[in-house]
Amino acid sequence: MSFLRAFKYRRKDTAVHRLDPRSKFLLSIILMAVSIVFTDIRVLLALVFGQIILLSLAESLREWLSSLRGLLFFFAVIFATQILFGGTLYTGFILSLRLLALSSSMSWFFLSSTPEDIGRAMSVAGLPIELTFSFTMAIRFIPVIYDEFQSIYDTQRSRGLELEKGGFRNRIRNLMPVLIPLLVGTIRRTYEIADAMEVRAFGASPKRTIFKPLRLKSGDYLVCAASAILVASAAYLKLLGIE
Amino acid sequence: MVKIVVESLYFRYPEASDYALRNISFRIVEGESVAILGENGAGKTTLAKNLNGLLKPTEGSVKIDGVDTRNLSVAKIARKIGFVNHNPEHQFFAEKVEDEVRFGLRNFGFSEEAADKTIQEVLNVFGLEEYRGKNPFQLSGGEKKRLAIASIMAWRPEALIVDEPTIGMDYAQKLNIRRVLRSIVSEGRCVIVITHDVDFAASICERAIILSRGEVIGDGRLRDLLSDDKLVEKASLRKPFLIELEKETGLTGLEEDFDAISSTLVEVFQKCRS
Repeated sequence: MSFLRAFKYRRKDTAVHRLDPRSKFLLSIILMAVSIVFTDIRVLLALVFGQIILLSLAESLREWLSSLRGLLFFFAVIFATQILFGGTLYTGFILSLRLLALSSSMSWFFLSSTPEDIGRAMSVAGLPIELTFSFTMAIRFIPVIYDEFQSIYDTQRSRGLELEKGGFRNRIRNLMPVLIPLLVGTIRRTYEIADAMEVRAFGASPKRTIFKPLRLKSGDYLVCAASAILVASAAYLKLLGIE
Repeated sequence: MVKIVVESLYFRYPEASDYALRNISFRIVEGESVAILGENGAGKTTLAKNLNGLLKPTEGSVKIDGVDTRNLSVAKIARKIGFVNHNPEHQFFAEKVEDEVRFGLRNFGFSEEAADKTIQEVLNVFGLEEYRGKNPFQLSGGEKKRLAIASIMAWRPEALIVDEPTIGMDYAQKLNIRRVLRSIVSEGRCVIVITHDVDFAASICERAIILSRGEVIGDGRLRDLLSDDKLVEKASLRKPFLIELEKETGLTGLEEDFDAISSTLVEVFQKCRS
């Protein structure tokens, strides 16, 4: 679960944090799309390198690095499936690199944007409030659920549960004492939140106003221009036959 | 019986810049009842998790019967030192109360026969026999807490750490939890209670360790520490009811009977007069 740290907003005053969430989201989506369509090692390395620069500007490199430990499990799964199903170590490496580029493209965005900012950006884009609010709440609750997972895990370890013990099937079965309380707690919380929202008249007024309207600044136009250049470069590379 | 020795313990969470615990040293021996008190964020739960191996010291050491917790698995420590989370629902996953108690027994290798016998005993002792087949999530707050303690005490650990045992409890439920914890103390087992509830702590524990901002600012007889105005203020606590009553009324002898905490004011005065 430590990879979730890479998606937890950290309050900082950096140029990246001050950007409009819409311009950040645009760049993030384009970085993600480019990560998906290319398998060339040079392109993927360039993408990861570019995102390391973004993370450095957002002063969030430490959080991103600490989350990589959690990604190791997924890298291991990728390598294992490649070896089992006739792939090579090289393809395993490429797919792992792609996963890293993909997760990083979302990581710097979530590390530098508050859930409220993201919700406002979605509202401005015309999405219904029920959807944007649910999305915002889901993001906001990732760290809460992570903390609860840790507390439940500690509690069950104190009762002699050893998740690392036994074979694969046994380990999955051992997860049940952790996942069931987590699921029950999460479902209960959703009902409590729904009640809390209803008593504060959520949805009573069909037309909602925005307390802090979003405004694009010069930095945001720069990010949009960078996004356009990235799309053009990707198209050019494809035309050159780079996969 | 168990002996816990903490020496120059420093602890820092992986992403934190500052220590959560600083230079903490004490020892807890068999049969002691200890309250760990302090303001919110003082480091009480962090200290408790260091005592049962869930967290390992950044510097210094915690030794259980002479063995450093770094060299012991959490399961090995749990066999000796039970830990009850402040939220009992964090441990419930079984469909029935009896299966919830069985979980720990299975983990520690009890045979099914021995487990059945133990479950019967422990449910009787904790007054949960009638709920044996009930879903743990359907119990009341106090019953849930008792079940959480029962499911740990089932394998008879030599020490028990209880985090915030009275949180969200009504008066009658508090008395039940107190009765349970006192019976564990009377068996000669070590009980460590982490709480803000000074009256509750005073009715169970002889000794207190008071934390403030990650440091021990008081370690000694609970009654003496909680009579100290400066210490109480520094730890954002208040004096227990009986100590305050003594001070305000000039009556003496109340401190000898912390049991009176469960009585009405009239009963306290009657006891004092007699």
